[in-house]
Amino acid sequence: MKEIVVISGKGGTGKTSITASFAMLGGQDVVVADCDVDAADMHLLMAPDFGFTEGFYSGEVAVIDQSNCVLCGICLKKCRFDAISVIKKQFVIDPLSCEGCGYCSRICPAKTIINKKRLAGKWFISQIKTGSVMVHASLGIGADNSGKLVAKVKNEAKEIALEERKDFILVDGSPGVGCPVVSSLSGANFVVLVTEPTVSGLHDLKRVYELVKKFHIKSGCIINKYDINPDKTGEILQFLEENDIAHIASLPYDENFTRAMVQGQTVIEYSNGKLTEILAESWGKIKQLTTN
Amino acid sequence: MKIAFTSTGTTWDSMIDPRFGRTENILLFDEETKELTVVSNDDIKNEAHGAGTATAQKIFDLSPDVLITGNGPGETAEKALKNMKMQICVGANDMTVFQAYDLYKGGKLKVL
Repeated sequence: MKEIVVISGKGGTGKTSITASFAMLGGQDVVVADCDVDAADMHLLMAPDFGFTEGFYSGEVAVIDQSNCVLCGICLKKCRFDAISVIKKQFVIDPLSCEGCGYCSRICPAKTIINKKRLAGKWFISQIKTGSVMVHASLGIGADNSGKLVAKVKNEAKEIALEERKDFILVDGSPGVGCPVVSSLSGANFVVLVTEPTVSGLHDLKRVYELVKKFHIKSGCIINKYDINPDKTGEILQFLEENDIAHIASLPYDENFTRAMVQGQTVIEYSNGKLTEILAESWGKIKQLTTN
Repeated sequence: MKIAFTSTGTTWDSMIDPRFGRTENILLFDEETKELTVVSNDDIKNEAHGAGTATAQKIFDLSPDVLITGNGPGETAEKALKNMKMQICVGANDMTVFQAYDLYKGGKLKVL
């Protein structure tokens, strides 16, 4: 079982559309893991059934047990995050403002404030239209993605892949270069870098590649919308060559990307033309590069 | 020599965990006493952030001479580990702890 992670560094390069197409092409051989949890949208294209749902807890939040509150107001005065207010003569903690530092609970004379584990969101195991399984998650308002949540989603996907003897785990990675991306990359066998020929596309590709290099993972690059800026595409190709990154494919700008998304379909379901051909070729190359 | 491995399990036949910060366990082998000790990393792998540096701290407390892992530690954890004057071997992916030890003995693992 091999783990393929798709990342982009920059948003809007077409990472998820391309990952979803690979999931379709891989069909039953592929367990999908959506680790782009901040803005999870893979589920829009995969028709998941949300068959298994469980809460995900991360960090802490303070809660006041009103029955023992002596209304002294010390917590309100001391809270640095202005998370406590008086509503209908009761001291109430706003969970969105509370940082879970636990100071109020320490200083409460009535010992009636406790820190509870914070429900950050939910994670799911779904049957999807590819005939396989997807592990994904959704976060509550104001909650942020973390290395922990990414590790959770990936580990579940890994267990399913081992149990059901699947060949690949396909991970839609997190954006940027922070903790969730590190967690997305960690343990991967191959990384697909999706970029576009823009100034920030190239800049963010270089930045995220530093991370990939750090973890000694083989990688290949797909240049999406390569024809919108031939000069930048040239610069990207040069960067790939200098760093020994495989150039998997260049995809032309194609409005079918957006049209497919609007229909809740992957690109390869929606259009049966040149694009599908290139994507199928790319998937073949990726599989080959991963297993060799 | 004391050698630390990141591992998904608890024995010589367990797989190397390719992840450093969020490894399941750290196995510590003492070549003199031939003893293999298991140190659970449960507390750290459940941290939302900063798993790499926290695991580096744990490794520091175990003070091995060699660390053998898979993809390798990230930038900050690597910096911390390098200050501990230990040898860091990476690339032991998809193999058991025993196989990794064998490769290390043969000088076949990549050293950071």
